[in-house]
Amino acid sequence: MTAALDKGLLPWLTAAPTADTVPSGWLEAQRAQARARVDTQGIPGNKAENWRYTSLTRLLAQGFVPTAESLTAVQREDLEDLLIPGLESYRVLMVNGRFMPGLSDLHDLPVGVRIAGLAALLKSDPDALQGRLNGVIGDAQPLFAALNTAGLDDGLVVLLERGARLERPIELIHLSVGMDEPRVAQPRHLIVLGDGAQANLIERYLSPGDSLYCTNAVVEITLGRDALLTHQRIQAESARAFHLSGLYLRLGTASRYQGLNVGLGASWARTDLCVRFAGEHAECDLQGLYLAGDGQLMDFHLDVDHQLPQCTSRENFKGILYGKGRAVFDGLVRVARDAQKTDAAMTNRNLLLCEGAEVDTKPQLQINADDVKCSHGTTVGQIDPEQLFYLRSRGISAARARRLLCLGFAGEILDALVPEALREQVTEQVGRVLEQAPLD
Amino acid sequence: MLSVKGLRAKVGEKEILKGLDLEVGRGEVHAIMGPNGSGKSTFAHVLSGREGYTVTGGSVTFEGRDLLDLTPEERAHLGLFLAFQYPVELPGVNNTYFLKAALNAIRSARGQPELDAVAFLRLMKERLKVLHLDDSLLKRPVNFGFSGGEKKRNEIFQMALLEPKLAILDETDSGLDIDALRIVADGVNALRSPERSVILVTHYQRLLDYIEPDFVHVLAHGRIIRSGGKELALELEEKGYGWLGEEAA
Repeated sequence: MTAALDKGLLPWLTAAPTADTVPSGWLEAQRAQARARVDTQGIPGNKAENWRYTSLTRLLAQGFVPTAESLTAVQREDLEDLLIPGLESYRVLMVNGRFMPGLSDLHDLPVGVRIAGLAALLKSDPDALQGRLNGVIGDAQPLFAALNTAGLDDGLVVLLERGARLERPIELIHLSVGMDEPRVAQPRHLIVLGDGAQANLIERYLSPGDSLYCTNAVVEITLGRDALLTHQRIQAESARAFHLSGLYLRLGTASRYQGLNVGLGASWARTDLCVRFAGEHAECDLQGLYLAGDGQLMDFHLDVDHQLPQCTSRENFKGILYGKGRAVFDGLVRVARDAQKTDAAMTNRNLLLCEGAEVDTKPQLQINADDVKCSHGTTVGQIDPEQLFYLRSRGISAARARRLLCLGFAGEILDALVPEALREQVTEQVGRVLEQAPLD
Repeated sequence: MLSVKGLRAKVGEKEILKGLDLEVGRGEVHAIMGPNGSGKSTFAHVLSGREGYTVTGGSVTFEGRDLLDLTPEERAHLGLFLAFQYPVELPGVNNTYFLKAALNAIRSARGQPELDAVAFLRLMKERLKVLHLDDSLLKRPVNFGFSGGEKKRNEIFQMALLEPKLAILDETDSGLDIDALRIVADGVNALRSPERSVILVTHYQRLLDYIEPDFVHVLAHGRIIRSGGKELALELEEKGYGWLGEEAA
C-alpha cells in the first residue's frame, strides 16, 4: 500500500458494512477484489492521463473518514425547503449516504417496479442483486469506483421489470449534513430497466449549510432492449464539499438514455460518465452544464465506447467560468473496428467571464471503423460584445445583461430538463448562482 | 431635444464624421439620407453609445444632458432608442423575459414602479394590438431564427413598449419586401406623437413614401450638406446624389 493511500484514503476502505446487513459471499469477494484493485493502483499522480488537469492533493489532505452511523436527527419538516414546488415524484431520501425509509415517499408504486435501499435489499433479498451489483463496472474498476465498492453499504436500488413504466419521476435526494469531523459517504446506486421499461430518474446532491464533507457516489445502470431512461443529475453540494461521482451505463439493443448533468456546487467535483453499448441501434444522449467560480473545480470525464454498429451518441457540455473558477472537460468517444454506422457528435462550449478563470477542454475521437459519422467541436469564448450592446441599448445594465446572456447560454441545456417544475427550479438556482457571481 | 454640433468621430484611425450638425425638436421626424459610406450608420451608433467609435470633437446634448458622457443604458433611460439595422440574435434569451427586463430597467431608472407579470402582459397585448402583430414572436428567443421582417417588427415592437422620446431607425427598411415595409411603417406611424421625435436613417426614398418626414438631410463624407423638406427626398429619388456635386459623390 502506498504511503499516500495510507494517509488519505485508507479509512475509506475500512468502512464496515452496517451491523445489520448479512454479508453475502459474493459481495465479500467483490469487496476484497476492489480492495486489491485499490492496492495495485495506488493514488494516480498528475502523470496519469485521467488526472492530468485535476490534482487529488487537496482531497487527500482533508482526512475524510466514512460516515459511521445513520443520522436520525433529520425530520420531515427539515426537508420542506429542499423539495421542488410542484414536482410530483417517488421520493427517496438519503442522508449522509444512508437510505431513510421514514423520510422517503414510495407509495403506490406500480406493479413490476421495485425501489428500495441497497442495505435493506442486501439483507432481505441479496439474490436480486447478485450479478447486477458491479455488473456494469466489472472488475477493472478505476480508483474511486473501487473505493466505493470496497466500502459500499447503502444506496438506491431501482428495478423495473419488462414493460414497466413510471409516470412520475423517481427523485433521489442525497442530503449531506455536516458532522464534527469531515466525513465521506459512498452511496452505490443500481438502476436496472427491463426490456421496454421507461423511467425518469432525478438525482439531487444537496446540503443545507456550508460544511466540509465528501461524496463518492457510483451509479450503475443497465437498460434492456427498447428501454428508455431519462436521467437528470443536479450536483448542488455545499460550497466546501468534495464530490466524486461515477456513472457506468450499459445500453441494450435500441434502448435510449437521455442524461443531463448539472454541476453547480462543491469546491472540487469530479464526474466520470462511462457508456458501453451492449446492443445495436441504441441511443445515448449526454448533456451537461457546469458553473465554476472562485476556488471551484468542475471536472467532467466522458468515455463513450462504441463497440457495436449502428449506435448513436451525442455529447453536449457547456460551461460558465468566472472569478478564478476552473473546469476540465475530457471527452473520449471510441469507435471500434466493427462499429460501422456509428453516429457520434461531441461538443464542449465554454464562456470565460473573467481573466482568472480557466478551462482545459480535450474532446477526442478514436475511430477505427471507416463507415461512421463522427464529429467534435470545442469553443472557449467571452460574451459577445454585440449582444451585450444590444441589451444595454435597451436600458439593461451591463452586469444584468451579462447575466442574461449567461442564462441564455445555459438555456440550451436547462430547457431540456423535465418536468417543468424541475426545469424552473434548476434554472432559478443557476440564476441565483450567476446573481452572486462577480461578472461586473 | 437633440442638438448635435460639429460632431467628429473616428473608427480606428479613419475619420467618418467630420463636423456634423443637426437639431431635432420635439415631435419632429427627420430623415437622414446619403450614399453608402457617408457615415449614416456611424452617426446612429455614436448617438446610441456603441463601442468602437472615438468621438474626436463636437458635442451632443439630449434633453439638456451631455449624451456622449453616458453609457448606452443611461441613454436608453433618458429616452433614446436605436432600432438596429441588423438586430442581434440572442439564443436562449426569451423575448418576453428580455422585454420585461428592459422595460422595468427603464421604469426604475425613471423612478417609476416596476410592472409585475400581469401588468406587463396586459401592456404587451395592448401594444401588439396597436401594431397589428401577433404574439408568436414573444415566446421565442430574442431575434433567434427570426426572418428579416420579423426582426424589424420586433424592433418596432420594442420601441412601442419602451416609449422612447427619440427613436433612431437605422436603415430599418433595408432587406424588407413591400409588405413587411408597410407593417413596419404603420408601426412607426402609430407611434408618432407630439412628444416623440424620430430620426430615420435610410439610403432610399422608398421608406419616406410610408413615413412622411418633416425634414430631410443629406449626409455625405461625414457632414450634412443639404437640408430641406420632404420634397428634397423626391429630388434625390429622381436625380440620385450626383447632382449635389462633388461633395456628395
